[in-house]
Amino acid sequence: MEDAGRLMERVQARDADAFEALYDRYHRLVYGLALRVLADPIAAEDVTQAVFLKLWSEPSLFRGGNFGAWIVRVARNRAYDAVRSRAAHAPSDLPESLPAEGSLEETALAHIDGEQVRIALAQLTREQREPIELGFFGGVTQEQIALRIGVPLGTVKTRIRSGLRRLRNILEGAVTV
Amino acid sequence: MMTHDEMLDSVAAYALGLLSADEAKVVAAHLETCERCREEYRFLQPAVTALAYSAEAGAATSSASAPGPLLKARVMNRVRAETARRSVPRDWPAYALAAAALALAILTGLVDLSLNHRLDRDRAQLAAQAQMTDDLTAPDSRHYRFAGGEVLARGDRLYIAMRDLPMPPPGRIYQAWTLAKGATKVAPSVTFTPTRDGVAVIRLPEAVTTLAAVAVSNEPEGGSRQPTTKPIAMVRI
Repeated sequence: MEDAGRLMERVQARDADAFEALYDRYHRLVYGLALRVLADPIAAEDVTQAVFLKLWSEPSLFRGGNFGAWIVRVARNRAYDAVRSRAAHAPSDLPESLPAEGSLEETALAHIDGEQVRIALAQLTREQREPIELGFFGGVTQEQIALRIGVPLGTVKTRIRSGLRRLRNILEGAVTV
Repeated sequence: MMTHDEMLDSVAAYALGLLSADEAKVVAAHLETCERCREEYRFLQPAVTALAYSAEAGAATSSASAPGPLLKARVMNRVRAETARRSVPRDWPAYALAAAALALAILTGLVDLSLNHRLDRDRAQLAAQAQMTDDLTAPDSRHYRFAGGEVLARGDRLYIAMRDLPMPPPGRIYQAWTLAKGATKVAPSVTFTPTRDGVAVIRLPEAVTTLAAVAVSNEPEGGSRQPTTKPIAMVRI
């Protein structure tokens, strides 16, 4: 399978076949994420279309690193644009401009699948998993998470960090064995 | 004043995209100068990306969470239209292309008395295909989704698009049905089979403005006058 970075180089040269290959490989990731954030299939399709047309019209926005990580940030930000149009207090964007770094990102994410992550997430405690999922997919700020689950803000932040660290360690273990 | 441990918690919230714009600016500026926090950000970032994969639509989840069958057509139509505009010089009139094709046909002895008829038929087919592509990809078309597909309407024109449709066994076929507004019985519409990829995109001849619902059922080859099996798809318009 041709590397996504190489396909993006071809997209820069206006190669529609390379674009189609990227669409086939990543559209379910983008659509699934948008659907989880928006809970609306039509709106999720709109986000998916917007993300891929942005990729086609401005391929230079991808500045190397892991393509999957980059398109996740673009897709989530786009889905949050739709959330923001409904809510007055939504959180900020994920930083798209920072290149993806780290050994796991470079190697493991190329082979990761949804089932693997779902199994890893199930190994977190509910106290860790709930604020992470609410924060990532829920389109809410950490203050709103604290209110919703009824714990102090500091506790929410600590649980999020410990949960993410544990998730990273579980996934790393899963892919280096 | 924030302690460094509190800042590390904020880095996690930043990686997860939970901070307000002002808070995010503070953390981003801190990351510029603090190697330890930068390390933490790099460590956590892959876990954040992985979260998105847990929502990936696909075989592991139900087909209802998959995007509609026309989404790819809409996206690729825009992309291919742009590349087509690039590859054909804008000042080259369409008739010049047709004339070149005709000249080639004459040279290779393909012209015969039926050419005009064939050209008329081909032109009509091309026009219908162009209309269909236009309708299916237009932002103002109306979508009525059901599990496994959607009915799409634009102007008076009506289409049904389905995915993951198994090829019917020999002697069987799919048939569309329409329910006119105020009617109590469905009327038979076109019959069809999907492509080998399980996709069917069909134009129904009925005017959408006269209809209340559309359905599809599996029927004997040649079609039926009334459905003989339970509809596999039904959508109200």
